[in-house]
Amino acid sequence: MTIKLNVIDLPKDDYKGGKSTLCPGCGHDQISNVIINAAWDNGLHPEKLAKMSGIGCSSKTPAYFLGKSHGFNTVHGRMPAVTTGAAMGNRGLTFLAVSGDGDSASIGIGQFIHAVRRNLDMVYVLENNGVYGLTKGQYSATAVKGSKKKKGPANEHQPIDLCKLAINLGCTFVARSFSGSKKQLTALMKAAMSHKGFALIDVISPCVTFNNNDESLRSYTYVKDNDVELHAYDYIPTQTPIESAASPEGEFHDITLFDGSILRLETIGSDHDPSDAMAALNALHKAESEDKHVTGLLYFDPTRATAVEDQCLVETPLSEVDDSNMRPSAATLDTLNARFRGKA
Amino acid sequence: MERIVNDFQLNIATANGTGSQSANLILLHTMFNMGVPVSGKNLFPSNISGLPTWYILRVSDNGYQAPGDRTHIQILMNKATWDDDIANCLPGTLILFNTDVKMPVERDDCNVIGVSMTKMARGLNPKLAKMISNMVYVGLLAEILGLDDSALDAALAQQFKGKARAIELNLQAVDLGRNFVKENVDLDSIPFRIEGRDIDENLFLVEGNEAVALGCHYGGVGLLSWYPITPSSSLAEGIIAYIPELRADENGDHFCAVVQAEDELAAAGMVVGGGWSGIRAMTATSGPGISLMSEFIGLAYFAEVPGVIWDVNRTGPSTGLPTRTQQGDLTMLYEASHGDTTHPVLIPGNMQECFEYGWKAFDVAERLQTLVFGFSDLDLGMNRWACPGFVYPDTPMDRGKVIRTQAELDAIENYGRYRDVDGDGIPYRTLPGSGLDPILYRGTGHDEDGIYSEKPEVYHALMMRLKRKMDNARTWLPQPVLREEDEKEVGIIYYGSMENSIQEIDDILEGEIGRKVSQCRVRSLPLSPVVEQFIRDHETVIVLEINRDGQLYGILRRELPNELIPKMHSAAYSDGMPPRARQYAELIKNVLAEVEE
Repeated sequence: MTIKLNVIDLPKDDYKGGKSTLCPGCGHDQISNVIINAAWDNGLHPEKLAKMSGIGCSSKTPAYFLGKSHGFNTVHGRMPAVTTGAAMGNRGLTFLAVSGDGDSASIGIGQFIHAVRRNLDMVYVLENNGVYGLTKGQYSATAVKGSKKKKGPANEHQPIDLCKLAINLGCTFVARSFSGSKKQLTALMKAAMSHKGFALIDVISPCVTFNNNDESLRSYTYVKDNDVELHAYDYIPTQTPIESAASPEGEFHDITLFDGSILRLETIGSDHDPSDAMAALNALHKAESEDKHVTGLLYFDPTRATAVEDQCLVETPLSEVDDSNMRPSAATLDTLNARFRGKA
Repeated sequence: MERIVNDFQLNIATANGTGSQSANLILLHTMFNMGVPVSGKNLFPSNISGLPTWYILRVSDNGYQAPGDRTHIQILMNKATWDDDIANCLPGTLILFNTDVKMPVERDDCNVIGVSMTKMARGLNPKLAKMISNMVYVGLLAEILGLDDSALDAALAQQFKGKARAIELNLQAVDLGRNFVKENVDLDSIPFRIEGRDIDENLFLVEGNEAVALGCHYGGVGLLSWYPITPSSSLAEGIIAYIPELRADENGDHFCAVVQAEDELAAAGMVVGGGWSGIRAMTATSGPGISLMSEFIGLAYFAEVPGVIWDVNRTGPSTGLPTRTQQGDLTMLYEASHGDTTHPVLIPGNMQECFEYGWKAFDVAERLQTLVFGFSDLDLGMNRWACPGFVYPDTPMDRGKVIRTQAELDAIENYGRYRDVDGDGIPYRTLPGSGLDPILYRGTGHDEDGIYSEKPEVYHALMMRLKRKMDNARTWLPQPVLREEDEKEVGIIYYGSMENSIQEIDDILEGEIGRKVSQCRVRSLPLSPVVEQFIRDHETVIVLEINRDGQLYGILRRELPNELIPKMHSAAYSDGMPPRARQYAELIKNVLAEVEE
């Protein structure tokens, strides 16, 4: 039997990780599988990937994918800062980050905001279930008002919608998806990996243990039945000629991503233009008012410079620059001493 | 009248934001340019404009740099503190005051001279009168004390960076002051004079923060992440200012990234991320920032990621006195974060060491794969000190045990990210992007291969290795500076900016109670064994520090053998001011009196 290889001749096993220790049926594991498939399909070099996460159920998942990539499971809510530092140190890395709703919408919301503001070049997968799983089911700040988890009273607080927030902050790639929509999530994941800049994918990922009951607006069944999809997606990689991609029957338009790949947006119902921030916000508000979940690519802006591009750094990753170029010469110190002494 | 030459203190009372800082620095540099040992302390408020500021200039042929026992010349410019400033004058003080403030000076026991400084300045330039009125007192002092014109010209040129119009205007104001003295003051009634001394051509004045900033560049800093906080901001801004000159390639592209972070937590996180990626990353902050950074400090310790944090200590606790000095953060730096932790702390005591530890901190951090603190304070960092020149690093950059090739990895038998294969407590690491034995770094318990583990024996072995790693550093971190007397009766242990007061303290003790004391200046934590030997060698040992609780004393008590504890004493004091020799000499005298009872 021949082992199937991807475009850089690696088997899918090279993209897999350790065995998951999450609850059986957890939506997060499905997202991990999507990450493995997308990275393999896109032919990303595992050694040039860096897996980043904070603290929580979602943040444990980098142990379960991309075992040949370095990773950092950091502290609660502060993964964006560590990623920022690492991006400055090695601009040649592709950062694939996983966070949760506790991590990103509460303790780490400031760092989330500022990473978006700087347009840090990273894929930011938000595994969003509305509860704190590892501490046994407290509501998070993204829990929908009126939603009820398995135990205790309904949530009375207004949720924070990180997609709305990100759009308002000028985030360059904002998508919402559902861990149960494998095809849509895979296309969006591949597109996010091909994007240059901050790519947020807010994935509704039901917590099978604490928040999957009938009264919950984040249960698997509820999301499946109330998912309003913006488009159907087809990711066309750079190595596939556009002519050979299957053309959909209805209307569609294409978005060209940074690496030359294409995300094909097939119209479903009323068309959504992802370059229109107002339309994206409208779609989110409308869905919220109807207790629906709108999914798909909400907003896309390929024009902004990234945090590293803003730095005016040398092309070589700083971590690979020779020591002799990092320490100024003795002559420069002689000049400085002379200047201080008023003799230069 | 008998002359008092090069041995007196000026106190200049002004309001913040009136341009007095330029005038005061010109005075400082003029005296310095004449070869006179002089030090300046800027006592400024946490405010941009309007609140009281004092500048203390100490002139001392003995080289004493701390504020002295009394003020000899008081300049009064600020209505808000007028009465207090006058009340603080001892009999015999020369008081020069601005009559345009329209406040009385009723001191028959002092030599009081009123000058219409604002009006004079208005005659030169009405718009800038407030600013240049300060230069009038520079002129008064220049004439009274006998300051050299050439030294003053050089100081003006330096302060105004050669801007001709500014220099000319300020020189005119100086002349108005000089002329006033020539026409109205009987110089024989004033004893204070400045006389030029041999000029050391190598010596210059510089702030500690700038010295550290330059040192960091010569350490190859690759990332500065920072959040503004007094008194460390000028350290970070110093690093930024020198990047185009020192850290750019032929295209103008930089070898050092700078991120102004959203808060100190993020600044520390970026340091950890930078260190993990393989560059030399740092931040600069003060006590409140360290409090916020503590979680990441623990992560760096436990996951063994190099990084550098400079703490320019200000007076705590809490917001405290943001523009005053202290050595109140020492214990926090040494043990920051929850659980059992230890962090190396490098403690410079002069400008050369500020520069040296600026680069050396990175060597220590990468060698130990841990977070290292530089410990400065507001006094050292934001005041100007004499420096004989910065010395180029005498060793290549120590990048520590980093495996960069497959061959290097293969050569290590039984490699594991956290396995102590060399027996020195320091494991090897690989970098992201190398593809060499990748692991998921974590702040959770981990085994020698970096795999999550909660096993008791695994956790215990890890924690004991981390302790061994730090203990091994005691012999090669910057060692204490000893000045030992033959008598070996009394030994003083001190550190950091106390260096600038120790000679005067020593002279007071010898002069007033005839005691010759040995000195041991600690320059790093964890402590060198040399410190323990110093304690063994002396009958009584006093630990001198600028805080309330005697923080180094506390560390010594915990780490020293019990039999040495009885001879140890603490002389700790803090009121926000730079350490005054008299204050500490009296504390030491009290300790010695108690010991002898």
